[in-house]
Amino acid sequence: MPETYRPEVIDHLVRPRNVGDLGEPVGVGESGDAACGDIARFSVEIEDNVLRDVRYKVYGCAACIAAGSALSELVRGKTLLDAARVSKEDARDALGGPLPAGKEHALTLVLDALHKAFEDHWNRAAGNMLVEGYGGAEADDGKTVVAAMSGGVDSAVTALLLKEAGYQVATVTFRLHDGERGSRSCCSPDTVLFARDTAHRMGLPHFTLNLKDLFQKRVMRDFVGSYEKGRTPNPCVACNAHVKFHAAAFLADGLGFHHVATGHYARVADGAEGPALARAKDAAKDQTYVLWPIPQKLLARTVFPLGDYEKPEVRRIAEERGLAVAYTPESQDICFIPDGNYRKFVRKKVAAEPGEVVDGSGNVLGRHAGVVDFTVGQRRGIGVSAPAPLYVTEIRPRSKQVVVGRRKDLEVHEVHVRDMNWFLAPEEARAVQVRYNGSPVPCEVEELEDGGWIARLAQPVMGVAPGQSAVFYSEDGERVVAGGVVARRGS
Amino acid sequence: MPDTQKPHDAISAAWVKLARMTEHRVYLDHAATTPLDERVLEAMLPYLSGRRGNPSSLHASGAAAREAVEGARETVAALVGAASGEIIFTGGGTEADNLALLGTARASESARKRHLVVSAVEHAAVRETARYLESSGWEVTHIGVEADGLVDPEELVAALRPDTVIAAVMWANNEVGTVQHVEELAKVCAERGVLFHADAVQAAGRVTIDAGCVPVSTLALSGHKLYGPQGVGAFYVRDGVAFESMVFGGGQERGIRSGTENVAGIVGLGAAAHLAREELDARVRHETRLRDRIIGGATALPGVRLNGHPEERLSNSVHLTVEGVEAEGLVLFLDALGYEVGSGSACASGGHKASPVLLAMGQDEREAFSAIRITTGKDNAAEEIEDFLEAFSTAVTQLRELSPLQIT
Repeated sequence: MPETYRPEVIDHLVRPRNVGDLGEPVGVGESGDAACGDIARFSVEIEDNVLRDVRYKVYGCAACIAAGSALSELVRGKTLLDAARVSKEDARDALGGPLPAGKEHALTLVLDALHKAFEDHWNRAAGNMLVEGYGGAEADDGKTVVAAMSGGVDSAVTALLLKEAGYQVATVTFRLHDGERGSRSCCSPDTVLFARDTAHRMGLPHFTLNLKDLFQKRVMRDFVGSYEKGRTPNPCVACNAHVKFHAAAFLADGLGFHHVATGHYARVADGAEGPALARAKDAAKDQTYVLWPIPQKLLARTVFPLGDYEKPEVRRIAEERGLAVAYTPESQDICFIPDGNYRKFVRKKVAAEPGEVVDGSGNVLGRHAGVVDFTVGQRRGIGVSAPAPLYVTEIRPRSKQVVVGRRKDLEVHEVHVRDMNWFLAPEEARAVQVRYNGSPVPCEVEELEDGGWIARLAQPVMGVAPGQSAVFYSEDGERVVAGGVVARRGS
Repeated sequence: MPDTQKPHDAISAAWVKLARMTEHRVYLDHAATTPLDERVLEAMLPYLSGRRGNPSSLHASGAAAREAVEGARETVAALVGAASGEIIFTGGGTEADNLALLGTARASESARKRHLVVSAVEHAAVRETARYLESSGWEVTHIGVEADGLVDPEELVAALRPDTVIAAVMWANNEVGTVQHVEELAKVCAERGVLFHADAVQAAGRVTIDAGCVPVSTLALSGHKLYGPQGVGAFYVRDGVAFESMVFGGGQERGIRSGTENVAGIVGLGAAAHLAREELDARVRHETRLRDRIIGGATALPGVRLNGHPEERLSNSVHLTVEGVEAEGLVLFLDALGYEVGSGSACASGGHKASPVLLAMGQDEREAFSAIRITTGKDNAAEEIEDFLEAFSTAVTQLRELSPLQIT
């Protein structure tokens, strides 16, 4: 690494290109590095997905000023897709080579500001769509795909496989919540930078969409609200139902792309009336249980490249192609609760109201600090001593009662399901799965007068919790007939 | 719409001017190092070519070398009002600070007396030596400075304890240029039997230093800050102050700093000290005029202010905070236009850490990163300063066009 700046850097410092701001309507992005106090701001004017104009401002060291100038020159006039492909390495080359030791952060800083300007452009274009939830307009057919990238190995290999299969790929990372800096929780600021680097190393354009409002409204608020109502939420299901696929489709439509793809383990099979969700080749990794709410219309344009791979194969592909993500750990349960303590998370949002612990006959056995601390099927932390283990069998939020009973009291023979999303005809449903790692249980389904459905189970199952998903599978056990939300456990 | 083309035009004009100026560079970083005076070079040349002799040898060549070294010792002693026997030559200012502090500290310490007081604005040569002593069992008290960089003598007195061995406050600060009230500081220490070390690397040749009047125990000097060669320095140690050697060998320099003398370098330092003493008044007059012109011209721009004491400062030193601009870009911009200035202290700018001196003066990190140092020299011409001010204004204006920050 050189000790001093190259002439190219000094040239950009003394004759910076594209200095300034742009008036409305444009995308504006700012990136700051708290460690050294540098700030970069980019403004972009985008018309027909072409970067008509770009302006930048920088407070910072000579490297930051020069990197901003060089980057603005690289992207000005390019199509949005080509501009979003410009990498730190491209900017470094434009500056004549490596920067002095300790100055490489300048490239990250200005690239991040540019990408935040793109992000602002998309979020302005979306208006309320990304808060209310995007309907999913249909774009022209073609071998084009927007691939969601979380920064992990699965989504990186997804993008790579699509590229190798001849797709024109654009990658996108969603900002879903204010993840903790430094943590590798999905969607944290560091993860966005990491995902961008990964995409750029594959030569792919990368975008970021800010979905924090949508995610807050459709996932996090629902998560907390469920506990208040005595239900057990599944935030991944809510995200797939309202956030991830809709946002990817929005971006695809904006770019004139057809497909959307994620790194989920699932497949898309043919059905009589359009596509049906189907189990992944790697049964242990299968994610159909959380993907059931994807509307069929969106599923029709969805690709799951990993559905045909086993997880070890995916890791091997990443290693063979030299993807730095190959060694990242498996993502955690709930992305917005990195420490996994969801009770603490809920307690911060809602005041717990104390109530009674009762048995099935209504006898008061003790007191509890709040129904939000309990889920159906829970055994620990009930705070009532009994000769045999007690389980939470029901939560009654209105009367603030937690009902406990014996293990066999958790058994149910019927499950009431609402908010169904159908892929196949109801008569094809043969079995239902009510827990993420559970096995499907043979059942018969019947529609109720109130629009809900009842599943009559061939054998009793334990711990069916309202709020969890019930996913129905076809006779071969491969295709998803429908999915829905458990309204209440039956008898 | 694109906002303005104006800055680009202005910058192009500056660039054209640069093309004309590549031959002519204006050096305004004399606090970092001064150019070697031609008369000093001439004095040194015989000892770099042809002449031979180790000052420790008995033969004629050795005696001649010894004579040259002792002659230099006398002129260096004269510069600081010392006797020649009180001057020890070293390999530079940092070594002078290290040896002066360590040598007196080790000689005077006892199990009960291991306390050192240093100011918060010391050069790293003193600061790091204090840190070393701390790691070997000493207690160190850091005393702060006022916003103008001055140490309050009362604060020094308050920091002194029965077990204090030494206090160290630099004569003049290498970054902001503030000249301390050394006489007063040294006196309060002397009255209490505490040794006093003054780093006079920047002050020597710009401020009258008289060890006969000011009761310092030790002083550090450097050759290349007063138009002498790099790699040679000296320290003064008052006659009678106990001293322990830190460099062992052939017993040169009274056994305090062993090693065959750098004869040419020492001769150069001697010549430089001689010229500094002869020309002190003229240099100070000239430098002060240039300095004040820079201060006046630069601070006329909005958001540019002077750091350090407005009057009690080195005759050649201007230290500015330029709001909304980071110093590195400004220094390189000025460099591209042919003007060489410093950003903060040379050592601090390498590591991209906020200058401890500015932080001690109560500035925040962002202010500290926006500071540049312009230090004039005896050979700068008044016209150069006018050209510099024009370039400075251009550079500041254009870098501010680039800055997303608001200038207050």
